[in-house]
Amino acid sequence: MNIIIVGQGKLGTTMTKQLVAEGHDVAVIDTRREKVESVVDVYDVLGVCGNGASCEVLEEAGAAKAKLIIATTASDELNILACLTAKRMGTEHTIARVRNPDYANQHQFLQKELGINMIVNPEFETANEISRIIRFPSAAHLDSFAKGKVEIASLRIHSDNPLCDTPVHDLRKKTKAKVIICAVQRDDEVFIPSGDFVIKCDDVISVTGTRSELVSLMRQCGVYRHKIKNILIIGGGRIGFYLAKQLSDTGRKIKLIEHNESKCYSLSENLPDDVTVIFGDGTDQEILDEQRLEYQDALVALTGIDEENIIVSMYAESKGVNKVITKVNRHSFSILNDIGLETIVSPQIVAGNLVTRYVRALHNSADNAQIQTLHKLVNGKVEAAEFIVPENAGYLDIPFKDLNLLPNLLIGCIMRNGKIIFPGGNDVMKAGDSVVVVTANRILEDLHDIFV
Amino acid sequence: MNYKMIVYNIGKILLVEAVLLVLPAIVSIIYSDGMLASYAVTIAALTVTGILATKKKPKNKSIYAKEGYVIVAFTWILMSLFGALPFWLSGGIPNFVDAFFETVSGFTTTGSTILNNIEVLPKSLLFWRSFTHWIGGMGILVFVIAIMPKTENSSMHVMRAEVPGPTVGKLVSKLGASARILYGIYCGMTAIMVVFLLAGGMPLFDSLVNAFATAGTGGFGILNNSIEGYNNLYFEMVIAVFMLLFGINFNLYYLLLIRRFKQALKSEELRCYLGIVAAATIIIAVSLITGNHSAGYAFRHAFFQVASIITTTGFSSTDFGTWPIIAQLTLLFLMFIGACAGSTGGGIKVSRLVILVKSGMRDIKKAINPRSIETVKVDKQTVEEPVVKGISVFFAMYIIVIAVSSMVVSLDGRDLTTTLTSVVACIGNIGPGLGAVGPAGNFAHFSVLSKIVLSFDMLAGRLELIPMLMIFTPYAWSRKYN
Repeated sequence: MNIIIVGQGKLGTTMTKQLVAEGHDVAVIDTRREKVESVVDVYDVLGVCGNGASCEVLEEAGAAKAKLIIATTASDELNILACLTAKRMGTEHTIARVRNPDYANQHQFLQKELGINMIVNPEFETANEISRIIRFPSAAHLDSFAKGKVEIASLRIHSDNPLCDTPVHDLRKKTKAKVIICAVQRDDEVFIPSGDFVIKCDDVISVTGTRSELVSLMRQCGVYRHKIKNILIIGGGRIGFYLAKQLSDTGRKIKLIEHNESKCYSLSENLPDDVTVIFGDGTDQEILDEQRLEYQDALVALTGIDEENIIVSMYAESKGVNKVITKVNRHSFSILNDIGLETIVSPQIVAGNLVTRYVRALHNSADNAQIQTLHKLVNGKVEAAEFIVPENAGYLDIPFKDLNLLPNLLIGCIMRNGKIIFPGGNDVMKAGDSVVVVTANRILEDLHDIFV
Repeated sequence: MNYKMIVYNIGKILLVEAVLLVLPAIVSIIYSDGMLASYAVTIAALTVTGILATKKKPKNKSIYAKEGYVIVAFTWILMSLFGALPFWLSGGIPNFVDAFFETVSGFTTTGSTILNNIEVLPKSLLFWRSFTHWIGGMGILVFVIAIMPKTENSSMHVMRAEVPGPTVGKLVSKLGASARILYGIYCGMTAIMVVFLLAGGMPLFDSLVNAFATAGTGGFGILNNSIEGYNNLYFEMVIAVFMLLFGINFNLYYLLLIRRFKQALKSEELRCYLGIVAAATIIIAVSLITGNHSAGYAFRHAFFQVASIITTTGFSSTDFGTWPIIAQLTLLFLMFIGACAGSTGGGIKVSRLVILVKSGMRDIKKAINPRSIETVKVDKQTVEEPVVKGISVFFAMYIIVIAVSSMVVSLDGRDLTTTLTSVVACIGNIGPGLGAVGPAGNFAHFSVLSKIVLSFDMLAGRLELIPMLMIFTPYAWSRKYN
C-alpha cells in the first residue's frame, strides 16, 4: 500500500518505522532536509523535502496514487490542509493529527464535513490509556478488548509471587482464576507459552480475562493494589489537562503541579473545581515533599522532558507511592524497564498503534474478518488483535484441535453473545464471535493468517 | 564495525557470482571449448566460500555507513579475485596478476586489456570477459538488492556507495523496487541493442558480447582492433548511439517511462552532456579535415570516438593515436569528464562538472560583490552547500590519486603520455589511453606493481574513490571510531 507521511517529528518517525516494518511503500515529507535525510538513511522510504500541503510536493510524493496520507506536523491546520489537498489529488484515505483542545469537540465535524477519515489526538489517547491503568493499578499495563469486557493485563512476577516456578497448566489449580497467560517476556525474549511452560521469577506475563477474574488472580498472587484515590500529576500540558479532567469525572482527588504560572491560571479556569492546580516546579524534591508525595496513591510524570519524568518517578518509587506512571517520548532506549519503572507510556506508541490498526483494516477487503482492536505488548514484540469472525468463513464450526494453527500463536479468548469462552481443543469459532489472537513476531491482518 | 555482518553480506554476493558464472559455463558447453573444468572449479570455490560465510546469520544486523562502504569495497575486490580464476586456471591468461587486472578491468567497465592477441581466447572466456562489463555496469550490489525479496532498511548505505554520482535518489519508495526498475531498463535497452546489431547482420555471439560491453560502457572488444575490425558503418553508428544512451542518467529513462517527458528533457546534465558531445565531435572532425582526411571519415570516427570516450566505454573505430594533437587532447579532456551521474559510465561525471563550474562562477561573483548571497542551482533546485563542497573535494582527490598513481607507474620508465594516460584511462574506467596504451597498444608491458596500482585505480574510479580509499585509513578498522 502506498502511504505518505507528512512531518517527521517524533510521531511521524514512529509511524514511518511501524509502517515500513509492515511492508508498506512509504513516502515521507518534511520541510527540514536533515530530517528527511536521516529518515531515508535508516528506513527504506522515499524522501521528499518541502511543505506537505503544497500540491507540487504532494505530487512528487505520489499523492495521486497513494492509498493513505498521514499528516503529523506540529501544526493542526497544516495537517488538515495537507489531508484536504491530498484527498482532492486522489489519495483515498486521510489521517490528521489534531491536538489543540480548541478543536477537541469538533472531531466529528472534521470527519463528516471535511472528509478526513481519522483524527488522531495522541495526547488525548495517552490520557485515556493512563486513566485505564489508574482504574486497575495492579497491572503494569492494561488494554481492553470487546468494548472493555475483556482485558489484557501485564504484570511482573517477583520472587515472592506464588506463580514463580509454576508451569502454565497449574495456574488454574493454584489460583482458581479463569484467565489465560498469553505471552511471557523473559529478558529480551518473548514466548507464547504452551501448557508446560514454566514461569520464572522476574518474567513479565500478559494475562487475558475479565476484570473480576483478573482481580482475583492479582489478589491470590498478592500483587493486588487498592483503588487509587489520590493522584499527583506533574506537568500541565495537554496530556495532563485531559487526564485531570477524565479522572476528576470519576470522583478521584487530583493534584496537578505546573511550573508556568499563566498556564496554571488557564488550567484552573478550564478544569473542574475539585482539581487542585499547584504552581511550582514538580521536579523539585522540596515541592514534591511539601505536597505529601508519600501519601499519594499514584504519581503521573508528564513533563516535556523524559529525564525529569524518569527521575521524578524513581523518587516516587523510593517514597513508596503505590503506582507510578512515567511518560517517555524517546522510547527507543530499551533500559527503562530494567531501572524499576513498571508503567511507561509513550504518546507516539499509543497513536502509532491506533494508526497501524486503521492501516491493517484498510488492507482488508470488506468480506474479511475486520481487525477490531490491536494492542502491542512487550515493546511491540507481541501483538494482541481482536477480530470479528465473518460469515461463510472456511474455518467456522471446526474444533480448534482439528484446525492447523501456526506455532507461536494463541487464541486468548472468544466472546459469544456477551459470554467469555476460554477456548480448549473442542471449542469452535462461530460467525459474529469476537476472537482475540495473540502472536509474537508476526503481522496479522486477517483471521485467515492464523492457520498454517 | 560489524565484521560478522560484512562477511555475511559479502558471502551472499559471492553466491550470486557463482550463479552468474553458470552463463559462461553454458557458453562453454555450446561451443565445447574445453573450459568447463575451470568454471566448475571457480563455481565450487565461490559456493564453498559463500556458504561458509553465510552459514550463520549474525544476531546483530546493524549496518551503518562505514559497513556499507567496506562491504562494497571488498565485494568488488573479492569478485575480481574469484572472477579471475577462469582466465588463470584455463591458461588463457597464465599470470594471475594479469588475470586479476583483466577481471578488474571487466567489472569496473574499464576495458583496458593486457592481452596481445584477443582472438585466440576461447569463446566462453570472451563471453565471461564481456559479461563482467555488463554485471559491473549497473553494479553487482544493486543487482543483489534487486533480486532480494525484502531489503533491509540499511541497504541504502550500500546502494549509495556503489551508484555513481554526487547524490543518490530513489525512484520509488522501496529500494528493492527501485533497483528492479533500474535493472529492468538496463536489460531492456541491452536487448534492443542486440536486436539492432543482429538486424545489421552481426553474428549472435558477437552481438551479445558487444552489447554487454556497450551497456556496461566497458569496451572489451573481441577482435584485436576492437570495432574497427568489423569496418562496418552501421555497426559503428548503432554502437555509438547506444554508448551515448547508456551514458545518460537512468533516472531520466524512468521519468520517460512514467511519461514525465518534460522533466526528463529539461535535465541540465543531459543538455550539457549532449552539448559536450556535439562540440567535441565538431572540434575533432574539423581538425581531422584540416589534417587531410575526408569529411566522411572525419565525422564518422570523430562521432564514434567522442561517444566512446565520454561514456568511458573505450571502443575504437580507428587508431586515434595517430590523430592531430588537438583531437587527442580533446579526447583526453573527455576522459576526465566522463558520463552522466547514475549511468553505467565512469569519469568525474557531467553533473559534477556542471556544479563545479557553477560554483566557480558563484565564487567569482562573490569576489566582485562580497556581500552577495548566491546559491548554486541545478534543474532549478538548490544544490546544498555540503554537496558542492563534497564535489570540490572529490575533484581534488581525483587529481591527487592520479598524481600519486602516475608517480608509481612512471617507475616503469615509459614516456610521459603513456604513463599519465594509462592512469587517467584506468581511474576514469575508459580503457585505452594514448601513446603505448592507445587503441593499437595494450597494458601487457607494465610491471606487476604498475598493474596492481592500475587495478586499484580502476576500482577507485568505479566506486568513486571513497570506498577504496577508506579501507586504507585506520578509522575504517577501528571499532571505537564508529
